[in-house]
Amino acid sequence: MSVFKIAWRSIQHRGTGSILTILSMALGVMMVVAVLSIYGLVQKSFRSNNSFGYNIIVGARGGALQLTMNTVYYLSRPVENIPYEYYLAFRDKETRSRELKKSIAYQARQNSAASATIDDTIGLVGGGLPGLMADAFAADAFELQQDRAMGLGEDGIYQRYTHVAIPLCLGDSYVDPASGAAFRCVGTTPEFFSELVLDVDKETKFEFSSGKCFVENSPENGFFECVIGATVAKRCGLKVGDRIQATHGDPNSASAHIHEQEYAIVGVIANNGTPNDRAVFLNLEGFFLMEDHAQSVEDDSILNTNEADEPEQTSKSEAELIAAANPPIDVDPLADEESFEQAMKSVEHLAGQGSNKSADVAAAETLAGAAQSDYRIPLPIEQREVTSILIRTSKNDSAGILGVVLPPQINRGDLESTLQWSPFRPERSQKASQAINPVEEITKLFEAFVSPFRTLLLFLTSMICVVSALSIIVGIYNSMNQRQSEIAVMRALGANRSKVMTIILCEAVLLAVVGGVVGWVAGHGLNAALGPLIENKTGVQIGFFDFAPGPPLAWLPGGNVLPNSLGRLTVSPEVLIIPALMLLAVLVGIYPARAAYKTDVAKSLGK
Amino acid sequence: MLKLEHIKKTYGQPDGTVVPILNIPNFEIAAGEQVVLIGPSGCGKTTMLHTIAGITNPDSGKVFIDGIELTRYSEAARDRIRADKIGYVFQTFNLLPGFSAFENVMLGMSFAKGKASAKRAKSLLEKIGLGHRLNNKPHQLSVGEQQRVAIARSLANQPALLLADEPTANVDPSNQKQIIDLITENCREENVALLMVTHSTDVAARFERVVRLEELNLVVAEARAASGGP
Repeated sequence: MSVFKIAWRSIQHRGTGSILTILSMALGVMMVVAVLSIYGLVQKSFRSNNSFGYNIIVGARGGALQLTMNTVYYLSRPVENIPYEYYLAFRDKETRSRELKKSIAYQARQNSAASATIDDTIGLVGGGLPGLMADAFAADAFELQQDRAMGLGEDGIYQRYTHVAIPLCLGDSYVDPASGAAFRCVGTTPEFFSELVLDVDKETKFEFSSGKCFVENSPENGFFECVIGATVAKRCGLKVGDRIQATHGDPNSASAHIHEQEYAIVGVIANNGTPNDRAVFLNLEGFFLMEDHAQSVEDDSILNTNEADEPEQTSKSEAELIAAANPPIDVDPLADEESFEQAMKSVEHLAGQGSNKSADVAAAETLAGAAQSDYRIPLPIEQREVTSILIRTSKNDSAGILGVVLPPQINRGDLESTLQWSPFRPERSQKASQAINPVEEITKLFEAFVSPFRTLLLFLTSMICVVSALSIIVGIYNSMNQRQSEIAVMRALGANRSKVMTIILCEAVLLAVVGGVVGWVAGHGLNAALGPLIENKTGVQIGFFDFAPGPPLAWLPGGNVLPNSLGRLTVSPEVLIIPALMLLAVLVGIYPARAAYKTDVAKSLGK
Repeated sequence: MLKLEHIKKTYGQPDGTVVPILNIPNFEIAAGEQVVLIGPSGCGKTTMLHTIAGITNPDSGKVFIDGIELTRYSEAARDRIRADKIGYVFQTFNLLPGFSAFENVMLGMSFAKGKASAKRAKSLLEKIGLGHRLNNKPHQLSVGEQQRVAIARSLANQPALLLADEPTANVDPSNQKQIIDLITENCREENVALLMVTHSTDVAARFERVVRLEELNLVVAEARAASGGP
């Protein structure tokens, strides 16, 4: 009969005492496992965003951590917004030209040019051809000068350092009518899914479990398409084809209201274990057009920059004009015929009514009004704001230096200077920006707050383990009196002192191992039970089989000799729990084992 | 088979005095021989058994088991010799409460090298009439059954010498004969030398050789029954 069997029988014989000892050990281990795995997975999930597809976030100046929490995890209170043009500073000339043509400034210029053409036609009759040609050249030169001033046909100032730039608009939520669960809405472009990668090393792209990504302007739904994260789909029972409405503002506040626009769900993102699983992604163009998302044309500040000496106008009457403007290049006029006709009428109306307001300002107002009253026209650039811009620096920057060097440069205020091109710039949107490195912020957060908390938790839970281990001593030692005769009998049957000592140590180790295994299972059970809560609070998904992440083998002592494929494998610190418990059990078991060792056989046999 | 030479053993008292407990000039048991040891309480019978088993070392003198001088070995070595060559039956049975009858018998072989055999444990229990109680724990057995399991355990390692310390003291009179028969018959069958301590004159009367361990622990009288063994 092996010493383990003898020890196990002894544990069984002490029934309730053994179970209580095992339970107290299990409790300690359960806490350690839960703390290790939950903390580890949360930390991994937070830190893994350095391979999330971007390394710089640009947002409004203020709390860097809050910006990170908002942008990366869709958590925390919403931050201020920044002008849309900051985003264009990271884009190439083609994108910029396309986008800038959606501006009030550009539309105003176009209207001025239309008026000038009428004047030129009149001039042709009196001035003759040479005069006309001179005027035409002058007009071209002026056009070019204006294009340059607007930045049309030029790359953004940070374009050459940028591989990917994606704008994000936050502030709305989707509230499930059935459960009341709220999920953040993220206004973004289709490039979020086509250009961003989930893992830079592996270039992992987003995948859709059903449907596809939205397009900027679809024939069926216009600008109002969205895709939803896997968690949102699962929790709210949503699928492709369903229509949802976003809630403006904090869904728990009294001021929150549901936007009237409906978004058609065109895709469900496959589960990827990131905060994106619990977000609703709205087409940015649609997001801009929802009420309270654009700066109001009725606000004096939007049009007062170049009209200081103009008599004050009642913009109300202008806004009430049947408003429309030239549809932007990427809007198919055939698909949007009504808007187009209205825009043409508007221009004719403006030209014919002889308003005392300058034509460009009137056009600006009509364009702004049109966008807000007709959801098929994109919002002018000047009225747009984004919450943040995700930047993945140039692919040539393999060492990631730009991610560190670029933010301080951006923070000098270069982005703010990009706003000078448009006279239609609301004062209030002259927001100072900041560029941050999210990994740095997350590391700071962990080092400042989370790590000490984890250390404290681990200390407390380890103390539980030590107390549990002490309960092993107490359990075994208390039974020693009764067991002295048993030990004496075994000695009389030929067991030597070392053997009985080994039996007692085995008993301690068995108690610890059984307690450890029970605690380990219970710890993971706790993880699975707390999973939905943790996912809700942090966006991190934790299930029964998620282990505490550990360092790669290559980082361990002597690990540098391993081949790369082996060195990359990570070892969960959980594998150390059972060996550590065994060691602890041997240490605490020595005391009763010594008592067994010293048992006086002759005296104890008669007991 | 067993030989004691000039064994002396004393115990120190709390008041500093030393009390002699054993003084055995010479004592021998042949292989397969059955001997009963009698004497008043406190005369050193149990100490003598402990000394023979190597549990207690004498102050002086030699103990030979099967030709091996036990007293010249270390405690661990004596433990090994005991596990291999000696069986022990206690007055209070001393079955381990957490173990079944079968496991208790197995335990008797567990500390001797290469002797553990489930088959032997089972056959021994069947032989003493407990084949149907293999998996019963001691508290599920009667007193008589418990002592029978203890006897099976003491014989499990096929010892050369069986030491029995008042094996019938806690057994009711109706079971005494049965227990003694069981011990003596099995010892005879397996050619095991037997040294049994008893207070019972009835039990002593059944043995061919009776050794009286008198006060002052000197073997002063030895009687051999004229009519042979039990």
